[in-house]
Amino acid sequence: MKKYLCLGCGFSYDEARGLPEHGIAPGTRWADIPDDWVCPDCGTPKSRFEMVEIPYFEGEAAT
Amino acid sequence: MSVRFVLPAAERGYSFLPSVGPNASYVAGHPDGAITRHSSFNFGEYQSGIPGFGAMRVFGDEVFMPNGTGYNMHPHHNFIIMAFVLSGTLTHINTIGRIDELGRDDYYVFSAGSGGKHSELNIGEGDLGVIYVWVLPGRLLAPPSYRRARFDRSAGANRITCLVGDEPGALPIAQTFRVSRLVSDAERRYAYRPARPNGLYAFVVEGEVEIADALLTRRDSMAVEGEDQVTIDVRTGGTDVLLVETKL
Ligand SMILES: [Fe+2]
Ligand SMILES: [Zn+2]
Repeated sequence: MKKYLCLGCGFSYDEARGLPEHGIAPGTRWADIPDDWVCPDCGTPKSRFEMVEIPYFEGEAAT
Repeated sequence: MSVRFVLPAAERGYSFLPSVGPNASYVAGHPDGAITRHSSFNFGEYQSGIPGFGAMRVFGDEVFMPNGTGYNMHPHHNFIIMAFVLSGTLTHINTIGRIDELGRDDYYVFSAGSGGKHSELNIGEGDLGVIYVWVLPGRLLAPPSYRRARFDRSAGANRITCLVGDEPGALPIAQTFRVSRLVSDAERRYAYRPARPNGLYAFVVEGEVEIADALLTRRDSMAVEGEDQVTIDVRTGGTDVLLVETKL
């Protein structure tokens, strides 16, 4: 399970968590999100997200 | 010396962001207002350059026209965003609850963390010159924070002063990252000692320096890595350099 960060605003997508509020179920792989998907906060295209290996702040649920 | 890249000023990305048209809701200001942005790294529509350096993803050299030009309230997460005011006055508003005015030599560190919005405005009558730096955080979704400070031009004359990072007097940051400033009023040799194995990015605000046989003039920049000591030869008085140390 990987995490991706929007290079336009910093919004983070976590495969384990998905984005249920935006219709993406927990466990949805990045590769399975449509190529025309954009950042829900700033509209940056999916291609301008970067895979990151950064842990959550302590107190945030670890995945 | 191991040089990662040398970036002449003219080879940076360039964006002209008018307050009308597609940017109308993003860019504040009267209809003639606009922001110019020179990007050292890929950002926005500019995607043909260097992707970043270490934990740094944005180094933007921006000018806001006066009378209300700037960025309207917009959201961020995670990135640690810094602004270093070079000239004019920056009005910064954020959802942590701060309305701040920053003048020449003032700077802030805004950690967006679990979510925050900000607006950046030039409500003055002259241009605002400001450098924006965005850094990946050490932890995701941390509590947001905002801190500000001022570079003391007299105490900081002819030496390297740490502005952001793990040093007394500097603003702390939750990342292996430092921003320092070198203001020199004469030709002189300086040494910067990054902690191994960090890299160093040098951006010439004004003046002229030589690093690793590369001559850098106004708004040129370069990055080096694998050095215990980086020698910076200032070639003219009135030189002003920002030095960014980052884990690689
Ligand atoms: Fe922003
Ligand atoms: Zn975004």
